Amino acid sequence: MSLHTLMFGWEYPPLHSGGLGVACQGLVKGLLKNGTRVTLVLPMNASHDEGAQLAMRGPGQGMDGDEPDIRFIESALQPYEGTAEYEERMIAAATANGQPFIDLYGPDLGQAVERFTAMSIEKTKDVQADVVHCHDWMTYDAGIRAATYHRKPLVAHIHATELDRTDFHPNQWIAERERSGFLQADRIIAVSQYTKNILVRHYGIAADKISVVHNGHNVSAPVAHHNTIVSSAIHKRAPLVLFVGRLTLQKNPRQFLDTAKIVHELRPDVQFVMAGDGPMLPELMDHACALGLTDCVSFTGTVTRKEVDQLYKSADCFVMPSLSEPFGLVALEAIAQGTPVILSKQSGAAEVIEHGFKVDFWDTDKFADCILTILREQPLAEQLIAEAPSILHRLNWQNQANNVMSIYRDLLKT
Amino acid sequence: MPAVCFYFQVHQPYRLKDLRIRHMDCEHPAYFDEEKNRQIFRKVAEKCYLPTNKLMLDLLNRHKDFHIAYSLSGVFLDQCKEYGPDVLASFQELAKTGKVEFLAETYYHSLSAVASIGEFAEQVGMHVRAMEELFGQTPRTFRNTELIFNNEIAQIARLMGFSGIIAEGTDHLLRGRSPNNPFRIPQFRVSRGQERAIGTKRPLAERAKDITVLLKNYRLSDDIAFRFSDRNWSGHPLSAETYADWVQHNDGHTVNLFMDYETFGEHQWADTGIFDFLEALPRILGARGIPFFTPAQAIDTWKNKHRDLYDVHSTISWADTERDLSAWTGNRIQQSALHAAFALEHAIKASEDAELLNVWRKLLTSDHLYYMSTKYWNDGDVHKYFSPYESPYEAYRRFSHALCDLRERVTIGATSAVKTKQRTKKHATISTGRKIQDARHKNATKRETNKRNNEITNKRTSIS
Repeated sequence: MSLHTLMFGWEYPPLHSGGLGVACQGLVKGLLKNGTRVTLVLPMNASHDEGAQLAMRGPGQGMDGDEPDIRFIESALQPYEGTAEYEERMIAAATANGQPFIDLYGPDLGQAVERFTAMSIEKTKDVQADVVHCHDWMTYDAGIRAATYHRKPLVAHIHATELDRTDFHPNQWIAERERSGFLQADRIIAVSQYTKNILVRHYGIAADKISVVHNGHNVSAPVAHHNTIVSSAIHKRAPLVLFVGRLTLQKNPRQFLDTAKIVHELRPDVQFVMAGDGPMLPELMDHACALGLTDCVSFTGTVTRKEVDQLYKSADCFVMPSLSEPFGLVALEAIAQGTPVILSKQSGAAEVIEHGFKVDFWDTDKFADCILTILREQPLAEQLIAEAPSILHRLNWQNQANNVMSIYRDLLKT
Repeated sequence: MPAVCFYFQVHQPYRLKDLRIRHMDCEHPAYFDEEKNRQIFRKVAEKCYLPTNKLMLDLLNRHKDFHIAYSLSGVFLDQCKEYGPDVLASFQELAKTGKVEFLAETYYHSLSAVASIGEFAEQVGMHVRAMEELFGQTPRTFRNTELIFNNEIAQIARLMGFSGIIAEGTDHLLRGRSPNNPFRIPQFRVSRGQERAIGTKRPLAERAKDITVLLKNYRLSDDIAFRFSDRNWSGHPLSAETYADWVQHNDGHTVNLFMDYETFGEHQWADTGIFDFLEALPRILGARGIPFFTPAQAIDTWKNKHRDLYDVHSTISWADTERDLSAWTGNRIQQSALHAAFALEHAIKASEDAELLNVWRKLLTSDHLYYMSTKYWNDGDVHKYFSPYESPYEAYRRFSHALCDLRERVTIGATSAVKTKQRTKKHATISTGRKIQDARHKNATKRETNKRNNEITNKRTSIS
């Protein structure tokens, strides 16, 4: 008997390419490949995203094929902008803790979540699923309702906690939504042991209720070199050190600049690229100037998939200094393009990637030293490039979806 | 019924500090982690060396036929002087019983046998002198680092003056034969260059006519060293009685039980019963008429009998399941590190700077390369167990910093220009900078020639 899962997601490519959306899509595709049927419920602002909606299959289609059955719940919120704004406010939350929720977030995100929750049963009444599976706190209430209505077990997937996003200064209302989801779920899937530990230590969730399923990566062929605007902006022969990610507190982009400062003192020929956009961009530009790095740091702003791959390809090493990273898909992307990686120890990726350097997120000096070592030692760089990709074969979405299916079966047995 | 031959390896490397390029810019820091090395040494001393030596002394005094052998690396002895005179004294107590054989090895527990014959001979010579000085005996049996062995190394050991050598008894080379009998090596001549190199630096007075190979019985050795506390092992818990049965059922001359000394109390903790096992073994084997030989005794008692050929073309060792060199040279960074370290030999020796030479040699210790192994990473393997660093890449990072800095120190003497110094620091990898070394070497050679000319002139003057 094939399984059927009813999923509640919050973002999904091409509507959004944040970590949650990418991971959600990878998992859905992996499940479909393994013969599990997927009905996916997503929030959608119809007036803004008609094109994107058409790009994906509508309700009822592709039930047995390689596409999920996607159902949209209209909301006033555009997920893309909403999330950006949300993140901006998170920084405010981190610095001005204790303010009432409504002042910090405005009514939009809360409303969107409420509407999504309210519509969750109506949109799924006809679905004959075996299990309900929801992704991150925004969808937990919807998941809880649907699971109760359909009388099916509930799986809460956690891609990032409120603590990760806020340097452990959470918005209490959100942290409560998360906790309530964790408590009411029959099983929790964490994207790393690192995240599982946060759930156990900070949310007080029983460890035996949490399964770890690392994110996967669908191995794409390394890109060929193209002359894009991004790559021509980079001095060709200079060694290049790369940061990729949204410029938010969680990604610890300031650390990258502080590290660059040390590297620059010893190796003035090295170039640094920060790829990605985010609310901290102006602050980071100021910081780069203050550090005297104007000639060697470039900010790309928003980049396309192709451009990012190009950057990975040109880079001599990739640095992920995140404060708290549940997984860190960018690390796998860098490895796929043949770039040596230096990762924050406070990340899920550091658990699974063996051929790379791992540094505590606060250890600027060590980050710098690892960069300098990789740049100086050709044999080391060669070995990292040659050996690291083995992880990509182990962590592919089809394998990871299989692990998720075992969890489903386990739940259905009891 | 065979005899039993115990040989224990005692070794501690000098672990490296968390070096940073940035901090090496202005001054040359110490490379080795004094505090960590002391801490580990004292821990192992309390758990293993001191209690085991005490027990061994007791057993040697109690049982007339009990004999044992040790190989103590030179870097272990150096650490004894720094961190544990009590440990050294307890080994000297054991030596005084006259029932303990001390084997020869490379002083720095290095891979010199496969990298530089000159350095190999010098290190073995240093070690032989240390044995004479500390324990009052001249070694007759050679054990190479990690039992690294091939026909050539065995032949070189003979030319160095050793009449015995020990090696791993690997299945594919034994081809069904028992490891318990002494073996001979194939007869051939090493190259004239090698012969000359050994001739000028021979550790012992004269070359040996013949050399006998003793092979480790890895099954019975590993039963104690690795499996003793393994609850999933069918032999667990292992009693001395049972073990004696297994020994008794072996054929051949001696069952050679070769293992790390740290097996007692450190790898196998006291609460596994390892000390009780060791305490009981001489009594139980003695009662069955099984004697204990040292390697030299095992060879002496076998004299004039037939010895089968142990023919080893590709290098073997006692490490990992592969039993080859891959534990130290299995990946790119290991090869790069080994090559880069030995590439400094000429420059270091030409500098005639004892401190630099000592530091360089400490970097040749095989453990530095072992920590860089990425072989069975996923299995949470023995490399990880033994490594003081969090990853093989961390091991390489520290090692490469030390070696780069050392290269710079040795080149300062050669090329006084500060500019060159800075350039080499920032851009030379651990495997480059050869040109400067060559220049250094040439300068040194020139100096040496000058010195020699001066000496000759002086002599002439004195004669006239």
